[in-house]
Amino acid sequence: MNMGRFFPVILLLALIPLYFSTLSTLSLMNKRLPKGDEVNVVLPSPILKITSLDFDGLSSDILYLKTLVFYGSTFVGKDANKQQRKLKESEFNWIYDMLKASTDLDPYFLDPYLFANGILTWEANKIRETNKLLEKGNHYRDWDYWLPFFLGFNHFYFLGDNEKGAEYLMEASKKPGASPLYGHLAARLAYKSNKVENAIIFLENMLEKTDDKTMRKDYETRLKALKAILFLEKGVAAYKEKTGRNPSSLAKLQELGLVEWLPVDPYGGEFYIDKDGSIKTTSDLRDMKKTQSNQENP
Amino acid sequence: MQLLWPIALITFKEGIRNRSIYGISLLALLMLIANFIISDMIGHEVGKVAVDIALSAVSFSGLLLVLFVGINLMAKDLDRKTIYMVLAKPISRAQYIFGKFLGITLLIITCLGILSCFAAVSLLLIKLGHQHYFQRFSWPLVCLSFSFIALMLILVSALSFLFASFTSTSFVTFILTIISYIIGVSLSDVKALVEAPQAVGIKVSPVTVKVVQGAYYIFPNLSFFDIKIQAAHGLPVPPSYIIGVVAYSVVYTLIVLTLASLIFRKKEFP
Repeated sequence: MNMGRFFPVILLLALIPLYFSTLSTLSLMNKRLPKGDEVNVVLPSPILKITSLDFDGLSSDILYLKTLVFYGSTFVGKDANKQQRKLKESEFNWIYDMLKASTDLDPYFLDPYLFANGILTWEANKIRETNKLLEKGNHYRDWDYWLPFFLGFNHFYFLGDNEKGAEYLMEASKKPGASPLYGHLAARLAYKSNKVENAIIFLENMLEKTDDKTMRKDYETRLKALKAILFLEKGVAAYKEKTGRNPSSLAKLQELGLVEWLPVDPYGGEFYIDKDGSIKTTSDLRDMKKTQSNQENP
Repeated sequence: MQLLWPIALITFKEGIRNRSIYGISLLALLMLIANFIISDMIGHEVGKVAVDIALSAVSFSGLLLVLFVGINLMAKDLDRKTIYMVLAKPISRAQYIFGKFLGITLLIITCLGILSCFAAVSLLLIKLGHQHYFQRFSWPLVCLSFSFIALMLILVSALSFLFASFTSTSFVTFILTIISYIIGVSLSDVKALVEAPQAVGIKVSPVTVKVVQGAYYIFPNLSFFDIKIQAAHGLPVPPSYIIGVVAYSVVYTLIVLTLASLIFRKKEFP
């Protein structure tokens, strides 16, 4: 038998398993190599504009996708058990810098603005920075009602500036395709200060316009929490009307039959009545599970 | 024209037979397939990202075509000394340059036409799947952008003729062309940066500013041809701008080609 004919085949059969084993070992070893932070410095936009040559739009897409992939990688576990680790301040800063760079390269690109608004406000408390980004988007995308709508919400809910919030909502209501509700909401903001109730109307609208599953889940949880707060606030108001003072605890509301049941905070915290009679929660409307799992796995 | 046509035709035929074209087309196809995967990752502006990728794929592949096929077509005649046979005919050296250029222009237009068709098919398919996210999409703008890419590549190709006229090897021509392309596409951004360096907190010497300002008038400003962002977002491009870009590219290309033929006339062949 001619061995020479079969030799290359035998060699291949031996080399292929060897290839896969070296690949898996090397990728493990590579992960253990001392490296810098995954999130790093973002080049200033004028430099990025030069280095992206003829491909500003494409570079903008790549920066945005890179941010999206990084944010996705902070979720650990599988499907239903998926939990997000708490992001560090430096990581939030990096996300902001990346989204800023992406929108500098293509200021008309809507997705980075929406992503910034979804992540950097509620989670990172970077309201002013997010508003700056949204204002840039609003300047360029002058046909879009989303950006002034979000700006309105941020001013009203986070910054407590109802006047400015109403102004942006009015602006949003005049854009093509805007919900007729915006004008109504603007008027409400201008004259009343029903913060939670208005926030629920805002969030229901945001939910209606969002397709992204993660964002939808986020909005749904927040909406559930705010509805629970509104429910309890109404109970407190009824208590005050009946007794002339604020209740000392939520249990009192139930004792007097003002609320049938005490809602649970979907963020894992507990609702309580603050000194001024407002409803607060120990979770501060941030996921408690996230904080705990982060403490377990620093 | 009658004298230019045979040279143009033979250059075009030679170019289209070049195997590099298959590789470049394959690369473009792969990029357009990637378009399907990447667009799927985008939440809202699927249309914008799909257009970005399609136009960038065509632009990049076109550039490779000019650099690897275009330059080679010019250099081959010199390297293989087949130029003697052509110049022995009753045609001037200037006619030879213009004929060659016409052939390469034909090649660029044909190849870019094919690549653009592929890109358009990929856009069409993505559009069918994500109709809702293509509201500001505009075919005329995408086609205009393809045409601007072709004009830019023809200009870059003319530049390669200028370099080929005074260099002795095709490699030097290649390097000079690629440098000119990089300078050309980033020139206006670099000018903006050196004129307002405080934006990134750097200091720029007045000499650098003068050099960049000088370069601004010498090198072609290729960012004029880049309307990818306008095409991606359906932003209006006024007709006067289109006329301006066409006029700029024709004038610059003619200047460069005339210079190339002037230098080529004096060139001595070994």
